[in-house]
Amino acid sequence: MSLFSALRVSATGLEAQRTRVELLVENLANSETTRTPEGGPYRRREAVFRSEPLPAPFGVMLAGLTGDPPVGVAVAEIRVDDTPPERRYQPGHPDAGAEGYLLAPPVNPVEDMVDLMSAVRSYQANVAAMGAVKEMLHRSIDLVR
Amino acid sequence: MLLPDLMLGSTALLLERYLDILAARQRVTSANVANADTPGYRAREVDFRSEMQSFLNGGARGPFPAVTASERWGEGAKNDGNNVSLDREMQALAENGMRFSLASLLLQKQIRGVRNAIREGRG
Repeated sequence: MSLFSALRVSATGLEAQRTRVELLVENLANSETTRTPEGGPYRRREAVFRSEPLPAPFGVMLAGLTGDPPVGVAVAEIRVDDTPPERRYQPGHPDAGAEGYLLAPPVNPVEDMVDLMSAVRSYQANVAAMGAVKEMLHRSIDLVR
Repeated sequence: MLLPDLMLGSTALLLERYLDILAARQRVTSANVANADTPGYRAREVDFRSEMQSFLNGGARGPFPAVTASERWGEGAKNDGNNVSLDREMQALAENGMRFSLASLLLQKQIRGVRNAIREGRG
């Protein structure tokens, strides 16, 4: 039943966008963090997406009705931004170097906010797609009433 | 596929195929929306007209062949090579839903007709 696989495709979209949002929020929260377990200032993290065919359900496989497998999305990797940290003159800061320069994370809050809005919009689009598929499934169920 | 032929006539079979193609199109649209931010992904689409035409040319009988989807070209892609337009997909979503509910309503009417006939016959 291809409609059910459409639901699963949308679910992969929701999952991927949620991961992206989580990372963006993490970046924003840590935009001033100068101490990390790895040492040094915080580094931005970003999700990289990859399209991934869903495994076809057994029934559809058996019937030989698959045109091509439905393509979902997955987080391929979480890339750590290797932009060198920002040097900020802040002599009073406890983590500032001998010359008074502080190594701060190279997070641009504006960039992350814009990215966040785009991720939320994509999330909503996936929800809308899911809603449309559910509506179609309900219509199909109505046929047997 | 024999049943609709005997009980409901050829219109029901056409509607069934119509719904089938719409479902496939919905699947493709969902995949496009899910991959709206995937680098290098090309949007896919179902050529509705040619699918329906090839079904009619084949004598409009089951079993239904798989619906094929092809990549969409000739449209501006973003820097990462992705050419999904969310607005366009939302339009496809709305259109698909409305077509689906109309066709399923028509099919429902046909089934009701047969059911009524059976009930009357029983007296």
